[in-house]
Amino acid sequence: MATVSSTPIRPELVCPAGTPAALKSAVDAGADCVYVGFRDETNARNFPGLNFNRKELAEGIAYAHERGAKVLVAINTFPRAGRADLWHQAVADAAGLKADAAILADIGLIEHAHRTHPDLRLHLSVQAAASNPDAIRFYAERYGIKRVVLPRVLTVQEIAAVSARVQPVETEVFVFGGLCVMAEGRCALSSYATGQSPNVNGVCSPASDVRYTETAAGITSELGGFTINKFGPNEPAGYPTLCKGRFIAADKASYLFEEPTSLNTLAILPDLIKAGVTAFKIEGRQRGRAYVAAVVQAFRQGVDAAMAGLPLPDIDLDRITEGGKQTTGAYEKAWR
Amino acid sequence: MSQGHTRGAVKPATPPFSPVLLLGMALKPVRPVVLQPIFDAMLKMIRRRHPDILERMADYGDRAVCIDPVDLPFVILLEPDPEQPRLTVLREVDPGSVTATIHGPLGMLIALAEGKVDGDALFFSRRLVIEGDTEVVVALRNAIDGAGIDLIDDISAELGPLARPFRAAAGAAAGLIGRMRDDFETLRSALIAPAVKDVDAQGMRIAQLETEIKQLRKTARRGGVA
Repeated sequence: MATVSSTPIRPELVCPAGTPAALKSAVDAGADCVYVGFRDETNARNFPGLNFNRKELAEGIAYAHERGAKVLVAINTFPRAGRADLWHQAVADAAGLKADAAILADIGLIEHAHRTHPDLRLHLSVQAAASNPDAIRFYAERYGIKRVVLPRVLTVQEIAAVSARVQPVETEVFVFGGLCVMAEGRCALSSYATGQSPNVNGVCSPASDVRYTETAAGITSELGGFTINKFGPNEPAGYPTLCKGRFIAADKASYLFEEPTSLNTLAILPDLIKAGVTAFKIEGRQRGRAYVAAVVQAFRQGVDAAMAGLPLPDIDLDRITEGGKQTTGAYEKAWR
Repeated sequence: MSQGHTRGAVKPATPPFSPVLLLGMALKPVRPVVLQPIFDAMLKMIRRRHPDILERMADYGDRAVCIDPVDLPFVILLEPDPEQPRLTVLREVDPGSVTATIHGPLGMLIALAEGKVDGDALFFSRRLVIEGDTEVVVALRNAIDGAGIDLIDDISAELGPLARPFRAAAGAAAGLIGRMRDDFETLRSALIAPAVKDVDAQGMRIAQLETEIKQLRKTARRGGVA
């Protein structure tokens, strides 16, 4: 079992919260930071009934700060032409409510935030798809970006190389949760099928366009009227996204882009720590507080054990993974 | 168990063999209207203690949702109009009269409401069945999960001086149900043990046959005699 011998940086555990109750669960379970979004299309989890109004965010920040945790506000969609006010207001409110940072993707919004709220710490969202030192240094030098969330396409070795070359810019990587197969921030599959884009409207495969039909043969999932998957009676299901659809090619139904699988790096945390990563991010603002509590507790134990040079905990997270399966994804690129 | 549901071509979640299933059978002769005051009180409590649920559901006020505890002979109709919400217990609901239905065992639905289990995980594992308008179901799930409901705490807070005995009774009931659930599981395992043994044997035989077929195909491809 892998352990860490000497690790100078203790990574922050950055945890998701879609609701005030989930924020409390995350903080109570040991999150160093919680990231949240406003209840509108300024964030990439603009789902029905989810997210925070301004009062809830103020209360959430107070709850977290009283317990030594930070709150980051994701304003990580791309402003629509003529509607930038909504995004500008979100940045102003994040700053006004004393959020610890804003997570932004759009270069115009980053410029606006840097110019109008110079005291607001800025993180570069994974949606910006900055995956090499030149791109990251540009954002840092021009707009004062302090941290970059790296796209989920790099190996651990590549992450180590990028982290070393962009210092003092901090790097944050995903350690658990759903995966996107497309270049981050550049996916058009959902908008092709539903007219709504994760990058602009903040919603991938909007629930309003999803239909499930259960029969004795199993469940059929449709997105925007397209049948995208069929699961047998006891087969684990996944999210109704086109990238995880099962399509028939050469008379064989298979996953062409990606299988329903969750990222889980619990076993390789020491490698990521050695790579010089500053923060570990857990995906899943759309998930319930039971998920948040379970995953945050597992990774709190994992990070603490790795930092102490102890064996990593063997925690089974199968029951909360998509499709009941787990992968280390691009970090190890085991398929090569 | 043939219960009252929004049944159509849909196969709802199978009820687990549990104490609730027996309770459901015992409750079959009871008319839903007799239970209605419990649900009226529950709605009143939710409005008072968790007003944010209806606030989060504001965009979906005109969309009725049927909640179907598959181990009980009733369904619950939720009409989330923020001004005049209604929670009605019925024997069954016409599928055409609701925008969505959620099927699942009672214990799981309560655990979901209390944030003890993750809704997506239940869906992935197929223990929760959803039909109809997915948007209102997602909104309801998020609204309830976000409220931080704790049924024992919530009911205790409504009972004033009776809170302490209620907590004691609830704790004893939870312990009893837990023990009964264990006993039911033992009973279930004993009842199905012969069938499981047969299925295991059949599975092994099928795996053996599949290996033989693969071998024969390989031989045939090489031009050998199968």
